[in-house]
Amino acid sequence: MTSEKTSTARAPRDPYRWSARGFIAPGVLLVAVLLYLPLLWTTFLSFTDYNGLGDPEWIGFENYAEMLDDPQFIGSVLNTLLWVGGTLLVPVGIGLGVALLTWKLKGGVWLRLPFLIPYALSGIGVGVIWSFILGSNGALDQALAAFGVADTPRWLVDAPLNTVVMILATAWQGVGVNALLFTIGLQSIPKEPLEAAKLDGATGFRLFRSILWPMLRPLTAVVVGLSIVASLKTFDIVQGMTKGGPGRASETLALTMYKETFVNSDYGLGSAIAVFLTIVTLAAAILYLRQQLSSKNEG
Amino acid sequence: MRPRKIHLGVAVALAAALTLTACGSGGGDDDGAKTGTLDFYTNKAAWEPDFDELNAQSKTAVDIDLNTTGYSDAAQYDAFIRQSFRTDKSPGLFTWQTGPSLGELVDEGLIAETTDIWTKAVDEGWISPDLRDTYTFNDKQYCVPMNIAYWVMYYNKNIFEEQGISEPTTWAELDAAASKLKSAGVTPYYQTSTLFTFQWFQQLVAGTDPALYNGLATGDVKYTDPRIVEIMQTWADQEEAGWFSDAGSTVDPAVGLKQGDFAMINFGSFFNGSLDGAGMKSGEDYDMFVIPAVNPGLAKTPVAVESGPLCVAENSSQKTLGLSYSEWWMSPEAQTSWSAARGDVAFNPKATVADPMLKDLGTTIADGNYETFDRYYEATPTPILTVALEQFGAFIANPGDPLPFLETIQTEADAYWADQG
Amino acid sequence: MSRAIRTTVLLVLGLIWLLPVYLLLINASKSPEGFTSKESWMPSDFALFSNFGEAVRLSGLAESAASTLLYAIVSPAIAVLVGAAAGFAIVALRLKRGFLWFVVIFGGTVFPLQMILLPLFDAYSRVSLFDTQLGMIIVYTAISIPFSAFVMRNFFTGIAHSVFEAAVLDGATTWRIFARVYLPMASSALVAIFILQATFIWNDLLLGLVLSQSDTVRPIVTSLAGMQSTYGGAQMSVVLAGGVLVSLPTVVLFLFTQKFFARGLALGQ
Repeated sequence: MTSEKTSTARAPRDPYRWSARGFIAPGVLLVAVLLYLPLLWTTFLSFTDYNGLGDPEWIGFENYAEMLDDPQFIGSVLNTLLWVGGTLLVPVGIGLGVALLTWKLKGGVWLRLPFLIPYALSGIGVGVIWSFILGSNGALDQALAAFGVADTPRWLVDAPLNTVVMILATAWQGVGVNALLFTIGLQSIPKEPLEAAKLDGATGFRLFRSILWPMLRPLTAVVVGLSIVASLKTFDIVQGMTKGGPGRASETLALTMYKETFVNSDYGLGSAIAVFLTIVTLAAAILYLRQQLSSKNEG
Repeated sequence: MRPRKIHLGVAVALAAALTLTACGSGGGDDDGAKTGTLDFYTNKAAWEPDFDELNAQSKTAVDIDLNTTGYSDAAQYDAFIRQSFRTDKSPGLFTWQTGPSLGELVDEGLIAETTDIWTKAVDEGWISPDLRDTYTFNDKQYCVPMNIAYWVMYYNKNIFEEQGISEPTTWAELDAAASKLKSAGVTPYYQTSTLFTFQWFQQLVAGTDPALYNGLATGDVKYTDPRIVEIMQTWADQEEAGWFSDAGSTVDPAVGLKQGDFAMINFGSFFNGSLDGAGMKSGEDYDMFVIPAVNPGLAKTPVAVESGPLCVAENSSQKTLGLSYSEWWMSPEAQTSWSAARGDVAFNPKATVADPMLKDLGTTIADGNYETFDRYYEATPTPILTVALEQFGAFIANPGDPLPFLETIQTEADAYWADQG
Repeated sequence: MSRAIRTTVLLVLGLIWLLPVYLLLINASKSPEGFTSKESWMPSDFALFSNFGEAVRLSGLAESAASTLLYAIVSPAIAVLVGAAAGFAIVALRLKRGFLWFVVIFGGTVFPLQMILLPLFDAYSRVSLFDTQLGMIIVYTAISIPFSAFVMRNFFTGIAHSVFEAAVLDGATTWRIFARVYLPMASSALVAIFILQATFIWNDLLLGLVLSQSDTVRPIVTSLAGMQSTYGGAQMSVVLAGGVLVSLPTVVLFLFTQKFFARGLALGQ
């Protein structure tokens, strides 16, 4: 990957460097202007005391101190970590399973469809129907009662059960996307190594471990990377189902941020939490991706 | 070369961001128009069809019609309005909350004064002077009331008839009714652990001593005050007796009342619409009564009232238009149409209330045996309210010793009142 | 694993997965007056279409449909191309410090959307992009780029660099190589990104809420969400019906694009 030329002479100019810059410029520009500029403003606000009216007043790191002082802060962090772990286990795990099962299977496309439909549904319908299913004496309890299970926990009230249950509800929509991405990864595995391994008699789990899993790495990185990022940002489903309650038992960092910013109009504190969350997410993503992608670039 | 370029780029971007957002005074010049289309913003997005219905009337009467934009998320709406004062979209008419929340905007000089409109309305008998207090800051009035709603007890009439219970007129009778229902296997009261978690607390405290309730709102009384603890212990005892519905239920309250999940629900008088929509018949399947005072020694029975304001931004380009509409809004004709469209009580005693049940409610409350107090949601400063709602919700989910919950609320209250100086 | 076992497992799992959709449909079909939560598994009436009508009437979403369609087609299309271009630059053209630039683009997706809403609103109103279809398209494109760039960059690493070198030897320009060689090879990835992002944009609530107001600019879910409220909002079956109605186009989109994922691809062979 590194240039083999000696370091005594000036390395010859990369003939594609202007072309490359041209290709990447639109992406960088749009993202920088639309997404990063507002983020800079938010970062600035995190060092101020601001309620949306009047002008922001500089207070240095006070917001960050207040954020760390909050006794519930650890709880929010733990819930967020629970989301990350749960999202990697369930939607990613099942997604991979579905992709493997449907790979090179007759009618595989249609067998994958039931998993994709949930993602196509509007958030409004999904939020309402899961509340409906998980409420006490809701659809789930009624189904369990039909099987003779009478005493069920209060799915959305008892923590940490409610977080687990919400992770499963999110998984319902997430499995399809992951399965699709893994499928694309499986389909782009070159034929030769695959045929060779099969001729060697590798099947099932051995095939998976020796050929499929390693060659799936680029797309696995996508799925896992996106899952880490998305799960750290978890907001909509928790806000919809429990609002972080009861008390603050199921609150995640994104919810804490939302509450301080939009409910309490403490934009400074909310921004500080957002910045904290962004740094954590970025660090996690970079660490993971660097490790995954540094050994790539074979070609 | 590259690293320097990056630093430069970041610096330019930061400067651009700060200039863009920091400068600019916001707002526009009032164009002085008294007729035309008024841009109206509200977080009661579900009421947009009702506002539209009123346009036919307002167009004929004062040649103004509303262009309504509804926001479905109250918190986002709040942030949007705060932000819009700095832009040329400063609202000509918008809804807000009464209480300290409105005080904040008034203090910043963002709200147009409506003292003249109020004076005229009170003179004409269009509104009770009591309601004026809620809209008064520093002896001047701001905004006009959009709606009022009383928080009463709705009940399933069929269940009451089956159990041979009649509307309670004293607290003792209410307790007796609840016990009777419980022994018959019917859950007496509705509760939820998200959003509306405050109403029973508000009812118990104000019903024991309105001065105590008002003390909480001003910070003079602590949540850890022994009297408050004792009151909340009553609530804890009722929870223990199983008088409240399952906190984990996600059934819509109107549907819940219809199917008998509980017999009574403490809710706002806007609930009629939802009950009608769920297929219940007003007066036959459901009815309402004003909740008797906990303390029989009180001269007047306290009733919780919530009132949402219609406000005009001081720096809006449609300020005159907004004020003209506000003036018309107070009139009996406007309020009659509004009551017909929305189906709630009207604040104007001269307006005709469409629903007979609500009409009765309005007259009952006005007859002198009742006094209104601001709903907990509006009376309490926002940071304290946020914690209180959470704590009440946690208490409802797992009832027990009330003191730890009250202590948590008081910690936030201490911090807030200390900040106010 | 034998074909029969795999198919059975998938069928059973798929059916379980569709159970909530079943619940959604039958409860969206119940009339509001007769609605109870007691027997949520049994269908009772077929009021689906009248509930649809009520949802449309209450939320005024008829006008939003056309503009949302515009956003959901144009923005992902642009984002797919821009993302692919970025991936191409990093992998095939071996842009210097490619990983850094990749992180820069990917970082755009890392923070919660709520945090940039208000500054965006402020900036948009100053440059007169607030409440315009153009403004919505721009922001939707921008938020779709990180995902697109991520997938395409990773996908392109699976294409042997010898493909690029061979095309260069054939005398093709970089643009030609991109458009005529790399893009066609990536068709399944491009379609996947498109439908996933189109669905995301179609279902957007927040950006539409803050950056638009008029019915003709507001996206469809933002209009629909107005119906849901404890303050005299619509009945549950009407809300569910609204959800079903709004989901139909995206479900159809998924159904019709499945054929892109049926076959494998030949990459660099």
